[in-house]
Amino acid sequence: MQQTWIVSVCAAVLVALYVYGAILWCIFAYRRDRHEPQEFTGNPPLEIFYAVLPLLIVIGLFLVTFHDEMPVDHVSAHPENRVDVTAFRWSWRFGYDGDRIRTIGTPLSPPTLYLPIDRTTEVDLTTTDVNHSFWVPAFLFKRDAIPGMTNVFDLTPRKLGTYLSRCAQFCGLDHALMTFQVKVVPDAAYDRYIASNGVQKP
Amino acid sequence: MISWLTATDHKKIGIMYIVTTLFFFVVAGLLAMMIRAQLARPDNTLLAPHLYNQIFTLHGTAMIFFVIAPFGLGLANYLVPLQVGAPDMAFPRLNATSFWLFALGGIIVFAGFATYGGASAFGWTNYAPLSEISEGTGAGQDFWIIGLLMASVSTILTAINLTATTFLLRAPGMTMWRVPIFTWEMMATALLILMAFPSLTAVLFMVLIDRHLGGHFFDPAYGGNPILYQHLFWFFGHPEVYVMVLPYFGIVTEVIATFSRKPVFGYVGLVISAFAIAGLSIGVWAHHMFTTGAVSNPFFSAVSFLIAVPTGVKFVNWIGTMWKGSIEFSTAMLFSIGFLFNFLLGGITGVMVASPPIDYQVHDSYFVVHHFHYTLGGGSMFALFSGLFFWFPKIFGVRLNERLGKWFFWLMFIGFNVTFIPMAFMGLEGMARRVYTYPNVEHLALLNGIASVGGLIMAVGVILFFVNVFVSAFAHVPVPANPWGGYSLEWTTSSPPPEHNFETMVPINSRRPAWDAMPQRSPT
Repeated sequence: MQQTWIVSVCAAVLVALYVYGAILWCIFAYRRDRHEPQEFTGNPPLEIFYAVLPLLIVIGLFLVTFHDEMPVDHVSAHPENRVDVTAFRWSWRFGYDGDRIRTIGTPLSPPTLYLPIDRTTEVDLTTTDVNHSFWVPAFLFKRDAIPGMTNVFDLTPRKLGTYLSRCAQFCGLDHALMTFQVKVVPDAAYDRYIASNGVQKP
Repeated sequence: MISWLTATDHKKIGIMYIVTTLFFFVVAGLLAMMIRAQLARPDNTLLAPHLYNQIFTLHGTAMIFFVIAPFGLGLANYLVPLQVGAPDMAFPRLNATSFWLFALGGIIVFAGFATYGGASAFGWTNYAPLSEISEGTGAGQDFWIIGLLMASVSTILTAINLTATTFLLRAPGMTMWRVPIFTWEMMATALLILMAFPSLTAVLFMVLIDRHLGGHFFDPAYGGNPILYQHLFWFFGHPEVYVMVLPYFGIVTEVIATFSRKPVFGYVGLVISAFAIAGLSIGVWAHHMFTTGAVSNPFFSAVSFLIAVPTGVKFVNWIGTMWKGSIEFSTAMLFSIGFLFNFLLGGITGVMVASPPIDYQVHDSYFVVHHFHYTLGGGSMFALFSGLFFWFPKIFGVRLNERLGKWFFWLMFIGFNVTFIPMAFMGLEGMARRVYTYPNVEHLALLNGIASVGGLIMAVGVILFFVNVFVSAFAHVPVPANPWGGYSLEWTTSSPPPEHNFETMVPINSRRPAWDAMPQRSPT
């Protein structure tokens, strides 16, 4: 995913510098007091060149994007772990181990989602009322929760830590308070959490 | 007064459109200032959540449906008959109907504030099922739907009217390949409106039926589908952003050509690219739905990327028009150059968000707020003022003060960028859009503080603009028919034009009839 970001930002900066440069050149070189106008109404070869060039750029960007999106969207047939995430106005419910161990938050005490490091966790995302969106900015990822369907995706966190996360899709009155924490923990601590029925928090 | 209420003259209706959109612009601006006041500090409690949600909803609704889109249509109402050499629009009474539907629709939307439960509070996207339940059960939400239905029908009628006028009422000699670019852009806009707005009309009715007549279009418990709402809404919603941009492309083209003292560079390319944008924009709607997991992301990503190509063609043509020209930095030209600077950034971030892996992070975040304000605010709004300064003397017979105008431009340009550059970084730091408060983490407090200061700078600019209007109106220096050396037909008639537009018609032998008719030039 980071590759798309790097390529896109580089392309953006290069195109911006080139076009801003051309505009600034016009502003400085062709001021009324410095330059008499030259009459011409077009330059077809140049226009075609500048239509093909952006076409090639966006084809390149699309290929990079497409190549990067496949692993992000890929859902493993045999995930090493599974959690149920249920969004509701205005907090979250997290269910572990076949929804046996549950954490339910409120807007004023946001819940924490524990994820084991380096393991692929399948998230089954649903909502009980309106559209929401599960967003972990640190993972560069979000996915919507939509009434009537279950959205399934994989998360494989690679860094220990606690990450502030939130609902991204506007869902009414207290949307602003619909936050949660994602805590990426070592395998052993996660297993202890499940084995103790959620008593020993990692 | 009565003569205005019963007016069917396209010029009077055009003026009423412009005045009404400027009124809603001020209202929407005040709402924006409240948003910036609330978000100036983290954990702020200035505005209650429900009130804040109404404020950002009506800010977006007003700017989109009652300022940016109708200003383009209103200006076209004034200009298209003049530019093609017609005495009026093809259907003058239909034209009056359009205006009154639009104006009353706007008033009805805002009347929601006076109802129990307040105005609509679901964002301009008004997603179902959210808009069908809970705090939206008051009349304010129905006011919003009905007001938008009126605006939607009004827009469709105007699109028909503009198309008929351009195709049927052109003066002798005004072939389609001599029609000014502004009028061409309006043709592409009208085509888009006719394809997209019926979808909005339909989806608004469906929400209304769901709310009051027990429909279940978007309720999965009864076989409905919330994704259907998003498809129908964005099938309208993405073409709508081009309805809010293409007319302004037209304004910028005319202004840049006039103040560079050169003919438009690549006229045919500009026309083709307008229709290419219109055509492609019909097939990109689900890029607003990349994170739903319910659409083909690669398809909609590819089409969205492609829109950059005709938009790039336009930039080449604008720069080509300035190239080796003789540029005069009038206020109108400054705003068009400001448009180029801002819109370019909005376009580039637009290419970034066309990529689903990037969109997974920035969707519904302040990065997207940054992106679309650069296209519609820094882009269309700057072009709006460019057009206003350019055609003000033609419409009202007096020139706006250039010195005050340039102050206004610099305040807007600086204020705009100070407000909206920080928003890109807020989004990347995890700030979601449509939140009434945010925690004091990372740099959010600093970035939001800067953005609020930028908002104040723009507010001072807008006040200066209205001061300018009053100062210029009182000074009342009469202007000649063609104060800027403009090219198209409207500059050959008096300022303001007589009742049926033209006392005499100049010969139309090129794309620049007014230029050919200038006394110091011998017609070629």
